[in-house]
Amino acid sequence: MQKVSIISCSFLILLIAACIAPAGAYSTPDSIVAAGKVYVSNVSYDPGSFISGDSGIATYTVTNANTDLGVVVNHATLSDPAGKVRVLDGTHQSSAQIGPGKSHTFTFTVTAVGPDSYCYPVFSISFRDADNLFAREMLQIDNTPLLLTVKDKPDAYTAGKKKTIHLEVSNPRGNMVKNVILRFSSDGADFTPSQVYVGSVNSHQTVPVEFSITPSKETPVQLTLDYYNGDNPHSVTLELPVVFGVDKKAAEPVMSNVQVKNVGGTWHVTGDVNNAGLETANTVMVTALSPAVPEDPYKVYVVGALKPDDFGSFEITFTAKETETVPIKLSYKDNDGNVYDSIRDVKIGATGIKVDTGSGGFPVVPVAAGIIVLVIFIGGWAYYLRRNKK
Amino acid sequence: MSPSLIDILFQPDAFFEQVLKEGESLKIPALIVLTGGIIAAAYGYLMGELSARMMAALMPGMDVIILLSAVLGALVGTFIFWGVASGVFYIISIFFKGSGSFNRVLEVVGYGYLPQILGSLITLVAAIWYLPQIAVPVLAKSALDDPAVIEAAMAAFMHDPAMVELTQITSLIAIVFMLWSANIWIFGMKHARMLTMRDAAICVGVPVVLYVVYVVYSLGAM
Repeated sequence: MQKVSIISCSFLILLIAACIAPAGAYSTPDSIVAAGKVYVSNVSYDPGSFISGDSGIATYTVTNANTDLGVVVNHATLSDPAGKVRVLDGTHQSSAQIGPGKSHTFTFTVTAVGPDSYCYPVFSISFRDADNLFAREMLQIDNTPLLLTVKDKPDAYTAGKKKTIHLEVSNPRGNMVKNVILRFSSDGADFTPSQVYVGSVNSHQTVPVEFSITPSKETPVQLTLDYYNGDNPHSVTLELPVVFGVDKKAAEPVMSNVQVKNVGGTWHVTGDVNNAGLETANTVMVTALSPAVPEDPYKVYVVGALKPDDFGSFEITFTAKETETVPIKLSYKDNDGNVYDSIRDVKIGATGIKVDTGSGGFPVVPVAAGIIVLVIFIGGWAYYLRRNKK
Repeated sequence: MSPSLIDILFQPDAFFEQVLKEGESLKIPALIVLTGGIIAAAYGYLMGELSARMMAALMPGMDVIILLSAVLGALVGTFIFWGVASGVFYIISIFFKGSGSFNRVLEVVGYGYLPQILGSLITLVAAIWYLPQIAVPVLAKSALDDPAVIEAAMAAFMHDPAMVELTQITSLIAIVFMLWSANIWIFGMKHARMLTMRDAAICVGVPVVLYVVYVVYSLGAM
């Protein structure tokens, strides 16, 4: 019986020793020194800066700088005492061995819940053979949105005419945003292209965007710029008014110095076309309309492109019967390919071919010369004959 | 010693006295008229080109027809003129009881055509100078429906200042050289038809003076 008691006591002592031994055995000065060489070597957040409500990933990399000793970490947590960042997932309870010179990465899913600010969540890990390691790295909450700017747009629109609008997408944020898409919506306009994929926009970068709009009625156009900050969708909207009217900068070809001449039954109309507008008039063409019938060689005269304040000459040929005026059509295209026409009536008169009677009057000199030569001839012969007779 | 062609121009009496002693030969007169005809054809080509340009659009091939007509008309017309002038002189000389064959008249009229070659050359040079300055009206196909348009176009063409000037110059040249030829023809007719100087002068002078009066009248009527 005594023997059993002795065995039981010995077993109990061994059991207590076994429980106490690890703490007493691993928490040695060496292990504490080794833990001191473990540090947080890198911290990154995705997205780089959060917008309130954004979720993202916080990544902490722990490096063991010891060259001969491994360390065991068994509890990694992230928390924000200020409450601006909430950790959704990623507390690491399991033990992990970090070998000498090795690193181990801990990731956490976080949500920014605070307003614009800087915050410092606390990362901590526990060592098996030493105390804890704490690290605080700045995380920015920045609610600055992308900027959608109208760089150039028409002063006024015309129903059914296509116009180009130039925009700029700017990213004033400190981090890149991705999947930037510009969408258009209106119940009174067509857009080309229907939407614009901009892609990624780096921090402080500006990307030009242009699209064409063909309005059918005066309805504002809604522009929506969708983008992702990390994996969080955001959008910026802009309303663009569509007002029909006269474009103050539009090209304005004006016909002048019009002269009409009829040669052999064909009317020749010549003149100049001046561009009195502020934009280039492309493919300026001049032709005659009914009741005139365009004839070769200049059925249609292509003046070409006219820059502002530039001018070109034209000549058209046509036949026309029983009319005193003929409509002359002047057409041109704007930079978007829209065709604009203007018609001007040109008076051709009821007379037929203009006969230039030269300098006019009786040709005294040649007739007198002819008569003188004839008289000399007759007189000479008369004299010759009379002298011969004698 | 055979007379030279230069003698025709300045000593026609002596020239024909020598030539008509020999047998009848139309070879040299025909060559003179042919040369004049070729120069006239060149002038006709230049004028025809303008007309062809004016009427080319009226119908396909019109320009070719006009050019051919102008060239052939001038060439053949020269020979017709030779024959007609000889005929007129011959017929008038009948009234003066002239003797000598028609071939002799053809021969002297042919020789007398020599100044016309000089006149034609000067006319050709004037045409080359003036024709490019003439504004040619171009008739459209639709002009066929309206003869008044064609008439007006022709009037516009003929009244072009350059055309008027060219016509006046060529008319004066034609008068001068026609009278020079007439001078030669008078001596030629005297020898060819055995006429007195006075009768020969009337045979040649009357039709030539009438022709010149017509040309002067045309000048005034332009």
